[in-house]
Amino acid sequence: MSAQPTPANLTLRYPELGTGPVPTDVYHEPDYYARELEAIFRRAWLCMGRVEQISEPGQFFVKSIETFEMSILVVRGKDDEIRAFHNVCQHRGNHLELKKSGQCQVFRCPFHGWAYALDGKLAGVPDAEAFYDLDRNAKALPPVHVDIWEGFIFINLAEQPATTLTEFLGQQGQDLVGYPFHVGTQTFEYEGRVKCNWKCMVDSFCETYHVPVLHANSVTDTLAGPDNPFGRVIDVRLKGPHRTISVVGNMSYQPNPVQGLAFQHAPAPSITSGSVDESTVLPRGLNETRADNWSIDVTVFFPNWIIVIGSGMYFTHQMWPVGPNEVIWQMRGFMRPAENAAQRFGQENSMVELRDAVLEDGNTLERIQRSLKQGLIKEFVFHDHELALRHQYHTVVNWVAQFESASA
Amino acid sequence: MDSALPPGFESLDPYVDQWVLPDSRARHAKRLQLPYAEIETFYHAMLPLAPRILEYLSQFSLGDLTAAQENLLKLMLSLAEIGPAVEWYGQGEVIDGFAADKFALVEQVPDCAAQR
Repeated sequence: MSAQPTPANLTLRYPELGTGPVPTDVYHEPDYYARELEAIFRRAWLCMGRVEQISEPGQFFVKSIETFEMSILVVRGKDDEIRAFHNVCQHRGNHLELKKSGQCQVFRCPFHGWAYALDGKLAGVPDAEAFYDLDRNAKALPPVHVDIWEGFIFINLAEQPATTLTEFLGQQGQDLVGYPFHVGTQTFEYEGRVKCNWKCMVDSFCETYHVPVLHANSVTDTLAGPDNPFGRVIDVRLKGPHRTISVVGNMSYQPNPVQGLAFQHAPAPSITSGSVDESTVLPRGLNETRADNWSIDVTVFFPNWIIVIGSGMYFTHQMWPVGPNEVIWQMRGFMRPAENAAQRFGQENSMVELRDAVLEDGNTLERIQRSLKQGLIKEFVFHDHELALRHQYHTVVNWVAQFESASA
Repeated sequence: MDSALPPGFESLDPYVDQWVLPDSRARHAKRLQLPYAEIETFYHAMLPLAPRILEYLSQFSLGDLTAAQENLLKLMLSLAEIGPAVEWYGQGEVIDGFAADKFALVEQVPDCAAQR
């Protein structure tokens, strides 16, 4: 391990991305947004949740995909298989399950009482003899392709996905295998709507150039610090459509009084602490350069799911576009269980500091979007350490172009 | 009058009404609603006792606390909520913060229940 100087010319490692400005029309134009939905969101694998949410047969959760005004039902069957369905009763189209999560033997539609087994088969129709030629087999719940990576449940909305989940996640997926995601059993989630393009929000978590300025009141001293005044990253790694940045931790940080007590009494180091749990065995792709001054990695799984991983806890962001200029933002934290009552205090601090720090990002995103819509920013110029942003632009444009040329 | 807190922590009784709250959502709302001076007063009342409170609470498991111990833990959870207000911002709200009511806590960790 070594404390590495922040590298220069990361961008030149990827000559295919160039170094010039990128046009901003794709960050706000309604026509392009519609094309992205077809080329990207209907074809990529999308994360729905974790296996621990449905650890027993009959347990289910419902996830809304507001991008398509869709409701997805994810359930563990009696055979222990995890399946996903459109949450739509095949009689008249009402949503079948209205609760966000629960456990049941059978799903019963709240409209006329049609019942479905956990495997999606139509199991009961009240007053069935009054229907003409009802084909029960044709009225099973519409399945959605589902697969699992490291305990995370993904779906794919394509009729026939072009790649398996494993192929889609590729090297980036392989390189994070083995991280103890399953020990983050204590979860919290925030959800909001921000008036910005989904890609701008993804980008806001993919560079730390802004940390010493925008986050000057909060996490600057832990995630940048006096030795790193411009918030340079340790490394940026691009793997297919996915990307990771390794973020600096200020190892000589002196915490504030309450914060310091919380760090001492947390089940494991907080994301905002800038410190590491040496006992956590890091997979190859986490702090891949094995820098001593590392705190967290931010990995974007294309298109809309980000995991921010520290040695002691992790959290995810998910962005669901609901228009070219608006996004639903879900942030979910995963903390280890408290070994005693005092550690509940450390957990609360982890959640509160994280929330306050990300609240610092929201207004800026909405101001950026107004500038884009007004045509005042026609191109983005990217800093070398904003390489992940440049990569997102190229990835999106390539996916849309390839999809459209294949279907032309 | 009997204390709402375990023996040795009675001096914090005046803060129980205001700062022993049902959950994380209620604590955040309290931070945003109160004048900053009251947040600071609570911070400075809690901070000197906090190391001893944590030492005390570390002897017990979640899911196994008396009502008085739960109250004491909840005071600490309120301290966690207002910590950044004092240590980062010098005001209740995040500086230039996105409106907190547009970023809702939709799932939270229970305050005192056993964890596994």
